[in-house]
Amino acid sequence: MLTALWPLIRAIIWSAIGGAIGYGFASGLVTFTDPPQNLEVQISLAYVGALLGWLFGIGVWKYWGREWFGLKPDHNEIKGASRFFSFSIDHKVIGVQYLVTMVILFLLAGALAMLLRVELANGSQNLMNAEQYNTAMSLHGIIMIAVAVATIMGGFSNFVLPLMIGADDVAFPRLNALSYWIVPPVAVLLILTPFFGGFDTGWTAYPPLSTAANGPDGTLLFAFAFLTFGLSSILGGMNFLVTIIAKRAPGMTWGRLPIFVWSVFAAAIISLTATQWVAYGLIMIILERTTGMMFFAPTAIDAAGVGLSGGSSILFEHVFWFYSHPAVYIMILPAFGLELEIISHFTRKPVFAYKWVVRAFFAIVFLSFLVWAHHLFTSGMGQNLHGPFMLVTELISIPTGIVFLAALGTMWRGRMWLRTPMLFALAMVFNFSIGGLTGIFLADVATDINLQDTYFVVAHFHYTIVGGEIFAIMAALYYWYPKITGRMYNETLGRIHWAGMFLFFNMTFLTMFIPGVEGMNRRVAVYPETFNDINFVVSIFAFLMGLSMIPFAYNMANSWIRGDVAGDNPWHASTLEWQTTSPPPEENFEHEPEVFEGPYNYGRKRAQASQRPARTPAPAEGD
Amino acid sequence: MLILLWNIFPVAASREADIIDEAFLILTILAIPIMALVVVIMGYSVLKFRRSEGDFEDAEYVTTHKTWVHSWLIWTTALCIAVIIFPGWIGLVDIRATQNDVADVTVDVTGQQWVWTYEYPDLDVSIISELVLPVDSLVRFNITARPDDVLHSFWIPAFRMKIDAVPGLITKMDVTTTEIGEFNHDQNFRVQCAELCGLNHAIMFTRVRVVEKDEFDAWVAEHSAS
Repeated sequence: MLTALWPLIRAIIWSAIGGAIGYGFASGLVTFTDPPQNLEVQISLAYVGALLGWLFGIGVWKYWGREWFGLKPDHNEIKGASRFFSFSIDHKVIGVQYLVTMVILFLLAGALAMLLRVELANGSQNLMNAEQYNTAMSLHGIIMIAVAVATIMGGFSNFVLPLMIGADDVAFPRLNALSYWIVPPVAVLLILTPFFGGFDTGWTAYPPLSTAANGPDGTLLFAFAFLTFGLSSILGGMNFLVTIIAKRAPGMTWGRLPIFVWSVFAAAIISLTATQWVAYGLIMIILERTTGMMFFAPTAIDAAGVGLSGGSSILFEHVFWFYSHPAVYIMILPAFGLELEIISHFTRKPVFAYKWVVRAFFAIVFLSFLVWAHHLFTSGMGQNLHGPFMLVTELISIPTGIVFLAALGTMWRGRMWLRTPMLFALAMVFNFSIGGLTGIFLADVATDINLQDTYFVVAHFHYTIVGGEIFAIMAALYYWYPKITGRMYNETLGRIHWAGMFLFFNMTFLTMFIPGVEGMNRRVAVYPETFNDINFVVSIFAFLMGLSMIPFAYNMANSWIRGDVAGDNPWHASTLEWQTTSPPPEENFEHEPEVFEGPYNYGRKRAQASQRPARTPAPAEGD
Repeated sequence: MLILLWNIFPVAASREADIIDEAFLILTILAIPIMALVVVIMGYSVLKFRRSEGDFEDAEYVTTHKTWVHSWLIWTTALCIAVIIFPGWIGLVDIRATQNDVADVTVDVTGQQWVWTYEYPDLDVSIISELVLPVDSLVRFNITARPDDVLHSFWIPAFRMKIDAVPGLITKMDVTTTEIGEFNHDQNFRVQCAELCGLNHAIMFTRVRVVEKDEFDAWVAEHSAS
């Protein structure tokens, strides 16, 4: 056991050394300035040092550092179960690392949501004080954002995408491992925030609240966590773009890509480009906090009593949403891909209007960069911007409509097999319809003036991200579970999970629209007593939804050890990842596959399933 | 169904609230048949196009259908443009209709952690305990936050109107009051901070009272500094 964890222990030792060096350096540095009010300069540099030490210890030295110093490269990969705790460069290991980390974080942030619902069950302050509530609410938000961004783009993209395009690995395997090992420090920082006074700004971290000198140091930790996570996102996005461009198997032309690969390609463009904007914004927040550079706060008085003139907090809102709106498409685009992928295989019918769906994905990418200011309709930005941003935002409904057409068109006259993945995919279509339609109320300036910052917004984005994306993630977890683990999950437990989650998700969040319309604002622990009853009902439904996660967690953990052996292709699906063993061998395929047909040629006269006959080796199952 | 929806709205005590509620209702009326379409197609497919366990026969090979795709595109685009024009653009213009009119009452609002201050510059009144307004009047709010404070958002649910209070910037909001009411009878008559502003954000609210004009004049006479 100790040898298995040795790489981790070494990395922790190095991060302690790095942190100490950073702290010492910062302590020296601050003697050159006015004595600072707090330890934020030291915390900042200690974190940078610890992060570098961590990465250095976990694998950067082994995979890069030795070469820089002319030493013999050490390419001994750790084998066995302990490879999951090491800097493995195998995309399948990294995929599992991402998925397990994200499922754990999802359950953790879900438990926080349960605490929030206990507090919100009535309008007075009961379980938590205002500071604890703000911290719990902010943590729930940012952890779920990380889960929503990285579960598909880190987990499924890593495990499945190279298999789907017939590659032996991603384009940059070492960078891939790096982008995963950047994530644990993010989780550690976020979990530490309550010990540094919490952070009370929500994940949006609008200044001047997030830069206030009397604010808790936890906000600084949050800014560093978000910034670090962004770095991982940027590296991942670049890696998948290059992988899809350069690593496709012979014959895997652009027109033969599974629709999930297209959706990841589209989302990776946003990951790579938009994330950099929020990184600039967060760096400015960090500098404003630690050094007093004034990017956002309009005025301040320095130690010598001189009035300083600074910037505008609306600037941050623009920069922040210039990333964070496209970011919701990093979450939902690959979820669309998963939805269509699963519906096609489980109806044994090609994705309807495949080319239009691809066009729709890129239209969404393009438009997603032009809609950010609909988050600012009530911010006080120029009135002349309201009309144009309303227009562009509502235009997004056209390409999104194409995705719905494709989902419904694929189902129509298909031959549907209602296993758990399909049930979740169908639920996703239902939930996202509600999420999308309620989005129009928030794109419309008139209704948004009232609904902005109310529970209507909370219910809406939970419908899109939980009802849409998380349901698609659940579908994909069950769908690829036999491929990833080699074992089959328990179908009965899967259906119980589905029924509970679908029912109570809808009851929770459909009910939550009501206090929004009736005038209850969000991000509050106490509220007028008019809203007592409705919130009590919402809380009860939320707890029941939380309970539905128990069969899920049990099923995932238990089936991995005790599940039936699944076989290579339990769904008889046509795409490449099912044409190799479960789990796949180290190089993914015994021989490099060659592709002669599209991904979903179900029902085509020539072949039973499209990408199968062309493949070597021949399917292991005799079907 | 629609009557049920109509009842869900809290009291609409301003001209703007009527415009906003109307827009909400129109969008809901449009959304219901779209949702129904999705549910019906999906429900029919689930019931009708099933296969049993262990049956792996393929469905018919259909990749696309030109007429369906094109008409779907035309319909969604037409609907989208319709919604952008009405209630979108028309609602926007309606709400702004009063911006060039002379206001009956002007109120300068300042937010700070965690108090709202109201000053009536023409009437020489300054108060933090409550916001009192005359009915059937055009009220113009000039809103800001203290320069060294954080963002707040000035929202009165009964009026459906909201705009941020930004340090270093004055934002404007017009409300034409139409109904008498007060917080003690209806909690939507409150100024609520709607932008997370730290510890006591949730309880940063003030009671609002909309009163008859002569009652308002009497209240001003009582509270005026001059």
